[in-house]
Amino acid sequence: MKQHEDLSVDFLGVHFENPFCLSSSPVGNCYDMCAKAYRTGWAGVVYKTLHLDSFVVNEVSPRFDQLQKECTPFVGFKNMEQIAEHPLDQDLADIRRLKAEFPHKVLIASIMASSEADWTEIARRATEAGADMLEMNLSCPQMTSHAMGSDTGQNPELCERYTAAVKRGTTLPVIAKMTPNITDMCVPAKACVRGGADAISAINTVKSITNIDLEQHVGLPIVDGKSSISGYSGKAVKPIGLRFIQQMRDDPDLKDVPISGIGGIETWIDAAEYLLVGATTLQVTTAVMQYGYRVVEDMIDGLEHYLRSQGVHHLSELVGLANANIIPAEDLDRSYVVYPEIDEDVCVGCGRCVISCYDGAHQAMVWNDETRRPSCDHDKCVGCQLCNLVCPVKAIHQGEVVIKPGQTGDADKIVLRAGF
Amino acid sequence: MQGLYETEWKCAYTPATAMEEASRCLLCLDAPCSQDCPAGTDPGRFIRSIRFLNTEGAAETIRENNPFGAVCARVCPTERYCQRGCSRSGIDRPIDIGGLQRYATDYEAAINLEVMEPGADTGKKVAIVGSGPAGLTAAARLREAGHVVDVFERRSTPGGMLAHGIPAYRLPDDVVAREIDRIVGLGVTITCDFEVTSDDVEGDHCSMRDLLERYDAVLVDPGFQKPFVLPVLKDDPRHVSALEFLDLARTSKGTMDLPANVLVIGGGDVAMDVSTSLKRMGVANVTDVIYEQSCEFLCSQEELRGAQAAGVTLIDGYVPVEAHDGTVTFKHRVLDATLTITADLIIGAVGQRVEVSGLDLDVAMHGNEVATAGPATKDPRVFVTGDIAQGDKTVVWAVRKGKEAAQAIDEFLTKGGE
Repeated sequence: MKQHEDLSVDFLGVHFENPFCLSSSPVGNCYDMCAKAYRTGWAGVVYKTLHLDSFVVNEVSPRFDQLQKECTPFVGFKNMEQIAEHPLDQDLADIRRLKAEFPHKVLIASIMASSEADWTEIARRATEAGADMLEMNLSCPQMTSHAMGSDTGQNPELCERYTAAVKRGTTLPVIAKMTPNITDMCVPAKACVRGGADAISAINTVKSITNIDLEQHVGLPIVDGKSSISGYSGKAVKPIGLRFIQQMRDDPDLKDVPISGIGGIETWIDAAEYLLVGATTLQVTTAVMQYGYRVVEDMIDGLEHYLRSQGVHHLSELVGLANANIIPAEDLDRSYVVYPEIDEDVCVGCGRCVISCYDGAHQAMVWNDETRRPSCDHDKCVGCQLCNLVCPVKAIHQGEVVIKPGQTGDADKIVLRAGF
Repeated sequence: MQGLYETEWKCAYTPATAMEEASRCLLCLDAPCSQDCPAGTDPGRFIRSIRFLNTEGAAETIRENNPFGAVCARVCPTERYCQRGCSRSGIDRPIDIGGLQRYATDYEAAINLEVMEPGADTGKKVAIVGSGPAGLTAAARLREAGHVVDVFERRSTPGGMLAHGIPAYRLPDDVVAREIDRIVGLGVTITCDFEVTSDDVEGDHCSMRDLLERYDAVLVDPGFQKPFVLPVLKDDPRHVSALEFLDLARTSKGTMDLPANVLVIGGGDVAMDVSTSLKRMGVANVTDVIYEQSCEFLCSQEELRGAQAAGVTLIDGYVPVEAHDGTVTFKHRVLDATLTITADLIIGAVGQRVEVSGLDLDVAMHGNEVATAGPATKDPRVFVTGDIAQGDKTVVWAVRKGKEAAQAIDEFLTKGGE
């Protein structure tokens, strides 16, 4: 009989049966979509961004693009869609119905406006409709108005004022959603906290041009011969999302602010990584757009297995465990070299390690033409482990640890990645 | 609608599936595949080109080396050559090099890419007798070197075994025609229905002596045109040879009349071609009795699998000892067992041989091949190539031998000539 672990988390006083939410995007755009997502196992939905009807959404066609590497599509995904396209009353009616039918699921209303009065008003309307919390969209990078979206999120003064305006219109917890299109996310995040934000969500999409059409000399997607920069998401942005969250965790003013993690979550491993750098809840869009709501099933299942393997009973115990281990580069131990160890039984003799070591590292991997097998010349090897990373059969592992000449340390006590 | 005989038996790769297969390639440092092609093709290079989205470059790599790149892609028993040492086999299975070569050469055809170019005129003239893959490879190479090349073909269609032997489901007519058109496009002339012989024959013909008067060098690619016939079947009225059958199948486009019960004797690639062709042409019962036992079969794995998938009944380890009017009795080579099969048609596929009588070739023969390695004969202006030359009797070897002959002739004309 399959065992189940408790994946529930409390975030801003609201109980989530698991950390998985749809992020504010095309995947949570109406009652039918959200209802299906809830039934599939998503704990929460950040409903596609609500706004006053004075802003008219008029989308382009087509509006997406994707980056492919070899046979893998959707390495990254580009989206030009903006915010909710329905009349506000229609979306609010859907939210009321969802809360009535799924009282134990969480509904977070994403909101956006272009003036303090409008932010207060949209917050008030969403609160009245029964949302459990609000998320301020300060970060959509493809708005047709420069008074909205990531242009606002890059301006700390606006962030603070607008957050305060939202707080005037609601008693609900407020999350501020950050744009990664900025050097230091801590600046707008702290501004939002000063304005009254209860939590930060990060990251929204990264401004991008995914591909250029070589014949028509224009980016994709092509809209009547032209294209625009717009938001990039999916697996490719996961490293950027993790980095911003870590940086916020490192900031003394932000280290205790709850975080909802977003950016390239597709598997339970991605999810666990976001938890370990400090996110309490998680938001997903791109994987859903490619594969459907069902991706949550293996995220839940996989996370349960992970919890069990870690001997952890509450998901919250995992949150932020990696933060203390991610330190400034100048503080890392630079006293030793770890040489590659080649498993002859696994090696198939392709020589890729030799090519990469010669062309990209230190010419330490030596090829035997007769046996078609590599070996490592320790006199040249610097222990970069590029060979390990390029080996297609994982025949290379981190092996012997040697303290560098003139340095001190205990090679036996060096902590390496287990099994790698 | 195209019948099964004319429908290519393997699916072509799409850009997506070609990338999947190319991505399986480990892109080896020393690419064993590139060291194991008899014709010198560099799969390691062209697979890398496919992987890095340079399909045009992949096609150029193949075509610069091999005028029959699209043919070899389909018919080469790669398991014996390039795929043999594939490092990927250490993980699961070798890369489908033939399939990727087909993808690249199909692309070449689709964009009408022309890779080969004639060389600057040398004023030298070469006659080639026989238009099989070896002769035509030499023709292409010699034109690239700038020599005038005239090919004489006894049959009414050029291509030798490509046009008359290999079944259309493995090698469609249009693929062969495109390869030959490309060679003709270099300025090679091919005169069909033309016999080179010293005997008096009907129709257009001339003698070797005539050719030597008109040309600086002559290359002969006689091919294996004569079937071996098992002595017990020699007088059986229901027996035809594999070569006759395959030719009829090919020229009738798979529509020849066939009975319901056919017995095939033989276990090489030709026997598999015959058996599979019969099934693909709708023959209900095809039984192939094979001398070798299953562990020692001579045919390629691909051909064997094709015959099995087509529904051919394969019986291994039996020797025919007696035949009478469609009834053949076999004895097992090891066991004390007898097998008697009665069929409406018996097709013997037990080997082919070269026929050079009438060509006035001054060569010492050793069995089915010339006794000396390489294309030279005792006459310094006469060269041989194709099946008669030493080496494997596959298309890829024909290409290799054609290239070797062209090189020898070019050296003779530019250095050894007057």
